[in-house]
Amino acid sequence: MSDGLTLSALLAHPRNGGTRHVAGGGRTERTWSSAVVETSEDALPPSADSALAVIVSGPPSAPWQLDALLRRVRDRGFTGLVLPDAAAVHESASLADRLGLVLLVVDRPWELARTCWEMLEQRDAMTLSLVRHVAQSIEYHAEDLPDQLRHVAANLGYGVALVDRAGVLVSAGPPLAQGVLEEISFSGWADTVRTDAGACASVRVESPSREGLRLVVHGAALTDAQLAALTTAAEVAMPMVAARLLLDEIAAVSDVSLSSGLLSDFLEQKGAPDPDVERRMRERGWRTSGFHVGFRMLARGRLDPFELVRAVRRELGRLPVDSHVTTRGRGVLGWLTFADRPSPTDLERRIAALRDLHATAGDQFPVATGVGSLQEGGQGMVSTLEEAADAARLAVSRSSSSWFLHIDRLGLEQLLLAWTGNDTFVPTAQALLAPLTAAERATLTAFLDHESQVAATATALGVHRNTVTGRMQRIQEALGIDLDDPEARLAVHLACRAAAPAS
Amino acid sequence: MAHVLRSSDLPALAAGCALFGAGGGGATWPVELMVRRGAPWPVTLHDVADVDPATPCMAVAYSGSPELLGERLPSLDPFGIATDAVERWVGTEIPALCSMEIGGMNGLTTLGAAAGRTLVDADLMGRAFPGFDQVSLLVDGVPGVVLGCATGADGVAVVSQARPADVERLLRTAITTAGGWAGIVLGGFTVGDLARHAVLGAYERVLSVGRGFADARFGEPHDVARAIGGTFLAEGRVQRAPQATPHAGVTSVDLRAVDGAVVRLVARTELLAVLRDGVVVAAAPTVVAAVDAVTREVVQISELTPGRNVFVLALPAPAWWRAADHRLAAVTPSHFGVEGLDLATDPGTDPATDPATDPAGTSTDTREAT
Repeated sequence: MSDGLTLSALLAHPRNGGTRHVAGGGRTERTWSSAVVETSEDALPPSADSALAVIVSGPPSAPWQLDALLRRVRDRGFTGLVLPDAAAVHESASLADRLGLVLLVVDRPWELARTCWEMLEQRDAMTLSLVRHVAQSIEYHAEDLPDQLRHVAANLGYGVALVDRAGVLVSAGPPLAQGVLEEISFSGWADTVRTDAGACASVRVESPSREGLRLVVHGAALTDAQLAALTTAAEVAMPMVAARLLLDEIAAVSDVSLSSGLLSDFLEQKGAPDPDVERRMRERGWRTSGFHVGFRMLARGRLDPFELVRAVRRELGRLPVDSHVTTRGRGVLGWLTFADRPSPTDLERRIAALRDLHATAGDQFPVATGVGSLQEGGQGMVSTLEEAADAARLAVSRSSSSWFLHIDRLGLEQLLLAWTGNDTFVPTAQALLAPLTAAERATLTAFLDHESQVAATATALGVHRNTVTGRMQRIQEALGIDLDDPEARLAVHLACRAAAPAS
Repeated sequence: MAHVLRSSDLPALAAGCALFGAGGGGATWPVELMVRRGAPWPVTLHDVADVDPATPCMAVAYSGSPELLGERLPSLDPFGIATDAVERWVGTEIPALCSMEIGGMNGLTTLGAAAGRTLVDADLMGRAFPGFDQVSLLVDGVPGVVLGCATGADGVAVVSQARPADVERLLRTAITTAGGWAGIVLGGFTVGDLARHAVLGAYERVLSVGRGFADARFGEPHDVARAIGGTFLAEGRVQRAPQATPHAGVTSVDLRAVDGAVVRLVARTELLAVLRDGVVVAAAPTVVAAVDAVTREVVQISELTPGRNVFVLALPAPAWWRAADHRLAAVTPSHFGVEGLDLATDPGTDPATDPATDPAGTSTDTREAT
């Protein structure tokens, strides 16, 4: 641990008066136990021990005079020298390297002097100044938490981040180094970290709604004194962050309930919204013109639709397409809007993205997702949303398709099913499939669903492909039907659908 | 006692002159070529004490740009017009001759003008200096000194009784008029004046330094320094071409010494001072000379090109300059407007500034300079 002023901390300090390293010291860290600020070289003490000299008057113009100055300062025992920037200073860089004297230039020497004083002599003053900067950031209006953190980061001059164990949630200012993030302890109240990649002070965020959050203030290099002061600053800023979290959450909940209500109104009016609804939709950026693809996510178990909508919104935000989503009943309802008709491949890509969205959401929530077909205009928007809702209802019982159904794909199939689902066909189908065990029926269904591809079937069922091959051989023997015959194959496929347990 | 200079002495004499040129004074080789056949060999060199003190004496020198001298070669009698003007001014023929600036090419120039005159072993600078205000007779304020300068197209300028700084200013104008360089003749003094107002035995010293250099030339730099009675200051590589500094006409050359030291040469037309690790280790009037580490040729300031390896030597200043404060004041760096470089002594004579004691304390080189 370093007790004093380190070169890296000085260079990384946000208020160092524009201090830059010219030469000397190589790559090793340098620590100064004191700093002497004087107007001229003559006023420096005759001897010093690991001290930094700051001379605020302009350096001599001739390179040899500067050489001699460096030498005299070094001979007095100083290990660092800060001079106002001038071309001549850079002329003497090689001598500074040779003498092992850390040579720095500064644009605003008095700001540097104040910072040195704070870091070495008056740590309370540093703490107080940081706390004051935190307080100043409360004065300004912030839109939301990221905005609030931006204010704090700008006022403190250090990077600020809100983190949990998974990573950075919100950050402002310079990015938090991964190496530093990994070192942060989540168990205690306050924690400090110092690594080669950077340093940080963090405190636990006491939030009633969110747990395991920490507010982190970080910089490229910080001394112990700075870390202590920044910990205090973080402690002072923490309640503000916690309050902001809560406020943002309330605002988000009320926003979702508003948008949900609006969507209900729109659906009730069957795609011809009255002027009031139309105005409210415009305000939210919901366009009825253009082309729409609706999607619906339904709960297959217990879930909080609000949490789901938040997760889905985050994922949708990454799609380069106009998208909206809100809660509806036991799930969420959303849609993608295209200004022009998308090409089939483009549409395919968006549907694939929705499938990914379903998979991502499925990791956290038990959902079934239905996707509607591409429809145009306000009426079309209503129909695609309704299609999505129907598909979602069907998807709830489709574990084989991972609880995801796209109406374009299942339209014809549903039609056939509707025809075959009558009293005469179902008993025949059941009789046809009677020789098969439940596992074999599932295998047969999946095999036919996946175009007789063994590998795809194995993947869908989560069994080895040899198992599928084996079962299919037994099934063919038991049924006595050649599945390569298209007619026979269609019949068996329909039988599998009709005889499937009702959802 | 009289010495005899033979043409076989010419290479050693040229080397000595080049060393005393202190990085300036002009390259010796063009004039060496001229005097090899143009001087009245063997040339007899008389001590001042051996010549009648009342004998009128004169000194000659090329002044101006050495580079231009190499391009626009001198006539067979470059000092004729100026000599006639000075003799007319003083009203008598001038039978004796001494050198005006032994350092650099002008040490040899004098030999070319020695025909028909008694050559006295005395010099008005004892090394090379940039201006006429460093001419010993003017520094000491010897009355009656007159300078003649050819101004081209048979013109001539004569300056008499002016203050040293004015002489410098007036003659520079005349030299510019002459086309960049001109033959200068200085008269109006006697051999007797030289006894107190000139550097005596200059040829003898230059020749001995030149011979020492010739003998030890390809040896260790320390041995070279010892052989010429000087001090080794540094050996290193030129980091950058001479850089202009805020002082008009003053340039700075960075060397990185083989032992790691940071060496800075500060120069005007001659090398003024040497700093080693931020400490002044030699300063004018001490003669600082740079020698190419490979070819062992004495290097002019303009030849200190990046990447060239050189070693830097110091030769003690002629004692004449340190014998009186007003003389020293005319030749220290501060006289040339360069502050912070003045040094009271020659290197090697004062333990406090002995360059052999490495200031950074990291050198492995502990050899004593002699």
